Amino acid sequence: MAQRIVIDPITRIEGHLKIEVEVENGRVKDAWSSGTMARGFEVLLQDRDPRDAPYTLGRVCAVCEGVHTIAAAQCLDHAFGIEVPEAGRLMRNLFCSGLYMHDHFIHFYVLSALDYLDILAVAQYKGNDPQLLAVRDKIVALVEKGDTAPFTPRYEPDEFSVNDPETVTTLVSHYIKSVEMKAKSSKMLNIICGIQPNPATIMAGGCTATPTREQLIEFRALWEEQVKFVNEVYIPDVVAVGTGPLLPLATAGLGGAHGNYLCYPMFPQGNPQGPADYALGGSDHLVKGGAIIGGALNPAQAVDFNSITEAVAHSWYNYPPGVDSLHPSVGITDFNPRKDGAYSFIKSPRYDGQPMEVGPLARGLVNQYPELMDLIGKGGKPGAVARHFSRAVEARIVGEAGLAWIDRLIELATAGPIVGMREKPVPGRAQGMGAWDAPRGALAHWVDIEGSRIKNYQLVVPTTWNASPRDEKGVRGPYEESLLDAPVPDPDNPINIVRIVRSFDPCLACAVHLIDPETNDIKVYKVS
Amino acid sequence: MDRFLLGSPEITRRDFLKIASASLAMLGLSQALTPRVAKALEDSLGKTAVVWLEGQDCAGCTESFINNLEPPAASILLDTISLRYHETVMAASGHKSEEALAKAIEEGGYVLVIEGSIPLAEDGLFCTVGGKPFKDIVREAARRAAVIIPVGACATFGGIPRSGPTDAVGFLFRGTRKHHHYDDVAAGKPVINLPTCPLHNERLVAVLVHYITFGTVPPLDRFYRPLAFYGYNQHENCERRGHFDAGRFLTDWSDPKQQGWCLYLKGCRGPVAFQDCWKRLWNNRTNYCIQANTPCAACCEPEFYESFSPLYERQVDVELPGIGRVDIDKVMATVGGAVAAGIGADMLISRAEKRSNGNKNAARAKPEKKES
Repeated sequence: MAQRIVIDPITRIEGHLKIEVEVENGRVKDAWSSGTMARGFEVLLQDRDPRDAPYTLGRVCAVCEGVHTIAAAQCLDHAFGIEVPEAGRLMRNLFCSGLYMHDHFIHFYVLSALDYLDILAVAQYKGNDPQLLAVRDKIVALVEKGDTAPFTPRYEPDEFSVNDPETVTTLVSHYIKSVEMKAKSSKMLNIICGIQPNPATIMAGGCTATPTREQLIEFRALWEEQVKFVNEVYIPDVVAVGTGPLLPLATAGLGGAHGNYLCYPMFPQGNPQGPADYALGGSDHLVKGGAIIGGALNPAQAVDFNSITEAVAHSWYNYPPGVDSLHPSVGITDFNPRKDGAYSFIKSPRYDGQPMEVGPLARGLVNQYPELMDLIGKGGKPGAVARHFSRAVEARIVGEAGLAWIDRLIELATAGPIVGMREKPVPGRAQGMGAWDAPRGALAHWVDIEGSRIKNYQLVVPTTWNASPRDEKGVRGPYEESLLDAPVPDPDNPINIVRIVRSFDPCLACAVHLIDPETNDIKVYKVS
Repeated sequence: MDRFLLGSPEITRRDFLKIASASLAMLGLSQALTPRVAKALEDSLGKTAVVWLEGQDCAGCTESFINNLEPPAASILLDTISLRYHETVMAASGHKSEEALAKAIEEGGYVLVIEGSIPLAEDGLFCTVGGKPFKDIVREAARRAAVIIPVGACATFGGIPRSGPTDAVGFLFRGTRKHHHYDDVAAGKPVINLPTCPLHNERLVAVLVHYITFGTVPPLDRFYRPLAFYGYNQHENCERRGHFDAGRFLTDWSDPKQQGWCLYLKGCRGPVAFQDCWKRLWNNRTNYCIQANTPCAACCEPEFYESFSPLYERQVDVELPGIGRVDIDKVMATVGGAVAAGIGADMLISRAEKRSNGNKNAARAKPEKKES
């Protein structure tokens, strides 16, 4: 008989997520995901000065912080008709690539590793590396004091957990090191951001910061340290674990979704070739956009932003009679919490009618990241482990590209003061779009300006794509699909569920528009 | 692999001394207290329980907190506090994490950190965790807490979500006004508000260390903000103040000649912002908004963001005692900057005094409960 399991909260993610699955014969038979928090950013922006949007929306989420700032700024650049100066484009790129490096390794060590490690194996460490002995002694001391928070309580390790004391101890030491590296990254990025997280300098027209040559030289030294950590610690750890103890999970394809992938172009390396490029921040993007339909190895097509629609068949919104789906530029947010058959306040975005997985795996497949393709060559299927791989490789790609951008910025700073802004007045009437690929996936904003105020603002964000509910044809969203058939031998210990869901790096704060007022009354099953 | 690449998690007596010294410096207290603070921290291993709740948040305050380098965030997490519940950090999920919270609440006596605003509309259903409205979780956790520290603009005064449709409030305040929703559980308990968007990590670390050592809270202003951090006016201490006085206002960011000029006409809320960002800086003493050539949004103030929108339009008229509201353009054109500056200094001193509300006695001062 099928058993319902509800995991609420899913921790070690951004935001509040509830996952519900139906388990039969030790496997997931069906799945539903819901976000359980909403603030109403789209609503609170209505009738405001459009220039507020990058600052305000940058605070939608502080984990992939600032990508909303950039998407909103590009959205306004597009609407206002601003060609951002080269220094502004470089500073935006550097801010985002620095974010990518630390966001990816923090996701691996701090947010995900505890799903794969039996951390108490540290106590069995028998080697003589003084640093690792110190890690062991620290954990043992906590155990002796009877206080191992925040590492316990936890789901119990299973047959896929890594329990070799040397490997676990090394990874725990890198967990600690990664926190320090993230703090150093924030110090670095603050040189161009003002404060970290939640940058203050990026806005319509570019970036206001005016770093000096000396500050940029310091910035470069800090950058090299990040790249070194990515290349010498993060990537080797992910490769060692992913092709070692976790290879069975990879070849089993745990956590694969529909085989549809979407990413937008990011990190423009050239100035815009025309006003259409303002929405993309420039031209010649380091990471290309693309859409893959029906299988990971199918060829990528160019992204057509007109093919994006949002359906609300199973979401608590109304559309006018006869309308199944709408393009976000004319999106409607008409709340109906009593709607029959609906179970989420996340809409169902579709590309050419298809649910799409967005995020590092999508970018890795579209751009054929080398180590990811190696893993697939070794029989690894696109799923949870492949997502971790793709993140690690990407951290290296953007980190190394950043060095050239810093050098160019140093050249500009040597020639004279950095000017990263070009201003234009707020237009009376205009529309704009801004797209970027956030660490968690495809992100786009649409604005409609009337009377120099925001008339309508719509966001279609990564976790909306990944966490979307069934559409009008009953097709599941990517989280739901990825959970199907996942082994859950012990309903009290649904560790594979959290492994799969966390491999997407959920970011709920931006995904949810409003909330299910019925949450309290329905589907309140708990693992017992 | 070289030493750089390895973690250095071992904490020694020397590290406790470093933490103690850094925290005292942050609070502006005497370094002579260092050994006492270090001893208190050393003894606290596994003893000071912290429950960290997240409501309508963006995790920015958590991100900011773990950006602490001196002392390193990992040592705070593993050596100074016992983090019993924190959704973004803890290993457990689902019923395991709910059990951890229930157990901590049962034991009581913990430091309660609140991040994110609390939606009161629709019986709190705009934010639920484990099927429970966040507003009720806050009540349960506050009831058994020893001290309550709302962090960031959202948990203190409502922040940006206060402008949305969910009736998002801070723990005690809806903007500048108290909402009394938690009076029953907050009564007699120290509450320390640490606003700004996001939280400034050092301010929390210093307050935590102060509490662990002395069991008290530092002197607070009428919005429950520690005077050590929120007793200074940005405008009065601004490195661009000279340009304000001389009437040099930045009007176009793309004009290199204007770099470094006063950002008042670009919406800077420095005249109403009380904080120490100008000397503390952010992210391990690196930079802050104005130094990065972008206006202060006064995210430390209860009025943020609703009253300060549109952010990049000049909106704050300078109020001068005896003169009243002043059009800054006219002041610059007729009176001259020096006069404005002189009067401004008087105004700001009196304002700072008003804010401190006589609450100047050192470490033992309790926050007052007066309606603002």
